[in-house]
Amino acid sequence: MVSVWRYSHLLFAIISSAFLLMASITGVILAVEPISNKVQPYRISGADELSLAEVLTTLDDTYEEILAVTRDRNGFIKVSAIIDGANAEFYVNPFNGEKLADPIEKQAIYQFATNLHRSLFLKSTGRILIGLSSFFLILIAISGIVLIAKRQGGYRHFFSPIVRENFSQYHHVVYSRFALVPIFILALTGVYLSLLRFNIIPETPISMEVDYDNIKEEPALPHAEFELFKNTQLGDIRDLEYPFSEFVEDYYIIRYRDKEVFLNQVTGDILAEEKFPMVQIISSWATVLHTAEGSILWAIFVGLGSLAIPFLIITGFVIYFKRPKTKIRNEFSKNQAEIVILVGTEGGTTLQFAEQFQKKLLERKVPCFLGMMNEYNRFKSMQQLILITATYGQGEAPASAEKFLSLLQKKPQNQNFKFTTVGFGSTAYPHFCQFAHEAHQHLSQLDNGTAFMEVFTVNDQSFEAFQNWCTEWSQLQGMDLRLEKPKTMGNTLPSSTFKVLNKSELPTDETFLLNLKNLNGAKPISGDLLSVVPKEGERERLYSLGKLSDNSLVVSIRRHPNGLCSNYLHQLEDGEKLTATVIPNRNFHFPKNSKKTILIATGTGIGPFLGMIEENTNKKELHLYWGARTPQSLNLYKEFIQKSMQGGKLSHFKTAYSREKEEKVYVQHLIKKDRDLFAQVLKKRGAIMICGSIAMQKEVLYELQDICSQELGRDLSYFQNKKQIKMDCY
Amino acid sequence: MTPPNISYKCMIQMTNYSGEKAYVVVSLINPEGNYEKTLYVQGDDAEWFPDLKQWWDFSNGSNENIDGLTGATIGNGERNIISLTFDESQLDAGYKVRFESAVEDQDYHEVDAEIKLNSATIKNKVDGTGYIRYIRMVPNR
Repeated sequence: MVSVWRYSHLLFAIISSAFLLMASITGVILAVEPISNKVQPYRISGADELSLAEVLTTLDDTYEEILAVTRDRNGFIKVSAIIDGANAEFYVNPFNGEKLADPIEKQAIYQFATNLHRSLFLKSTGRILIGLSSFFLILIAISGIVLIAKRQGGYRHFFSPIVRENFSQYHHVVYSRFALVPIFILALTGVYLSLLRFNIIPETPISMEVDYDNIKEEPALPHAEFELFKNTQLGDIRDLEYPFSEFVEDYYIIRYRDKEVFLNQVTGDILAEEKFPMVQIISSWATVLHTAEGSILWAIFVGLGSLAIPFLIITGFVIYFKRPKTKIRNEFSKNQAEIVILVGTEGGTTLQFAEQFQKKLLERKVPCFLGMMNEYNRFKSMQQLILITATYGQGEAPASAEKFLSLLQKKPQNQNFKFTTVGFGSTAYPHFCQFAHEAHQHLSQLDNGTAFMEVFTVNDQSFEAFQNWCTEWSQLQGMDLRLEKPKTMGNTLPSSTFKVLNKSELPTDETFLLNLKNLNGAKPISGDLLSVVPKEGERERLYSLGKLSDNSLVVSIRRHPNGLCSNYLHQLEDGEKLTATVIPNRNFHFPKNSKKTILIATGTGIGPFLGMIEENTNKKELHLYWGARTPQSLNLYKEFIQKSMQGGKLSHFKTAYSREKEEKVYVQHLIKKDRDLFAQVLKKRGAIMICGSIAMQKEVLYELQDICSQELGRDLSYFQNKKQIKMDCY
Repeated sequence: MTPPNISYKCMIQMTNYSGEKAYVVVSLINPEGNYEKTLYVQGDDAEWFPDLKQWWDFSNGSNENIDGLTGATIGNGERNIISLTFDESQLDAGYKVRFESAVEDQDYHEVDAEIKLNSATIKNKVDGTGYIRYIRMVPNR
């Protein structure tokens, strides 16, 4: 079903994009026109409350012959008159009849934009094309709404945070959600105006008859005495036409917003009156909504909507062209391959991970085949099937895996095989990796399939998590595969220079703390990341930053025996300089409005928390749970923690040591014991922040999920979406 | 010395045709039946002027300056009241006032309505044959 919506969304966009691009760009220009008109100082405050009797008396005293008085959508009063035998039109101040200015002339740019916008200078053909594009825009908007709802996992989650895969995908969804309303209104009114133009919506004109035989010539009243003129305010009318001649057969014509009245010019009697037909009133609304005449706010609103269209067209096509188009390179045919990797992907990101994996296998000359899950077939030499799949919307199959479950039944394998499933997803969605589990389940039910590993899940496209799976898998296979992280693409953030203030070390634990001073550039916040490139050409390593003061930052580092970056940082002496880049990590900043906060870390994951604790000068309730191997590991932070507790910046501190006793204690065990505290913090809109290893994150989330569903009757994702659970794990 | 002028108030009443707003040009036709000069152009977007073919051939061909003679287009069923000025010598001398009209993508009416510049009959209502229902003229106050 998803693909039907997707293909129609794309198809309509392809058909109409060129015209929509034209119409939207000119639309943005045209949105400026009503604003530039409205800001002219021709609207006189209080004029709308004047009666017609007052206004007409003033004007007749000032000018020789008035033909008509018009009140436009800006509230400007325009008079048509004959002055010295010539036609004249101008804005007036209705209080004193004074001429304010000549009518605003439509500027050439707006005239040009209007023509292009309406008909592309192709007259009727162009109008049809634009009308059709407008219609397609409605269809694009509708299919877009459905696609967002599916992606977000239901209409209820329409405005939930969007998982970011890449720039185009993320911003396409973000902007379309907000531009939806103006775009929909513009498209709908655009179609309406086109239909009106081509008479498909018939505009029935008003047809009032005046009974000339019974027209009265007395009692003659001065027109200032006419009831209607005395009782009608200037603000109520659209225009008023004077009688053509002094014969009684000629009358005043007064148009209101909803009706037209003919008025005897001698007696002031109403000769005829008729309401405008509904179509005309709707048309008037459609025009105002589409052109934004007379309202600056509305003009800005639809102008921004119009501006979003070119952006959505471009990002939309980028998403389309980035989608995998079976560009996969295989060295072995599907029947030669012993390992078959099948991918279930929506936007193609998951495929990139699978490709990395395939590449490493090929380097080892392992006969493997990479394909989409929809290509599931009989694989004659397959010994192991590896599924790497995302989940779409409410646990549905992603685009490239839609047919997988049915193919599984139709194409049974002739030999026994093992299978492994890796699920990609985000715990911010309620149906985390559901399709991966479902596929795994179906495979388990086959007679000749055996699970090689449990389903492994990867949260938020974490490369580290995928690497962990790869290590685990390759060790079971008796190999040692190391994936290459794709190099950071065009890191445009400027780098800063830091001075090493101090290094404290705990050799037994291979951990050390670096105190840095920022000499220029970025102003980091605790939780931001420090990107360090140890040598040119090497890939970056990221460390979480803690900010102790404006002049002192802290990073906590574990030294790996062969770690290029950790050893590079380790050999820095006090006073030496370091060039690195600060990467903002907004999702891991301390939540300002959280009254109670729980920090959970293992090992060096405590780094950013040191800064957050130090900055807790308001002494809000703050709990720290910390896991390490032995109590000695704490020596590096002991002094800081003690000082913080004495100063009231840290309320509670609990530790879990995994190598201290017979029984290993991990942070998740502490969480289990303190369930009530965790439930209470979440309930009171407090936050839980997690920093450390992916393995720890998994266990902690498992425990938290249990607390959420048991104690709070909610899914964990609910709190994640409310940004009450923040994570930075590696 | 410029000859004395005479000016008339003129009402152009449109029919209930369907379509875009109409372009109407009012021209003075000399006794030989040729365009003498443009009196008024109802329509402010020069893009459409060539649609009024006969008049455009004359006006554009003779490089006539029509600045200040133009006014907004009006739609079906609406009316427009304008002031037209002539030399007194043109009155009762075989001159005519021609109204020609065009609507985007619809027929062009070279002579939608025509009124003789004759003081005895000028006040008579003249029916149009295209988008104009009728024309009325009265002397200006």
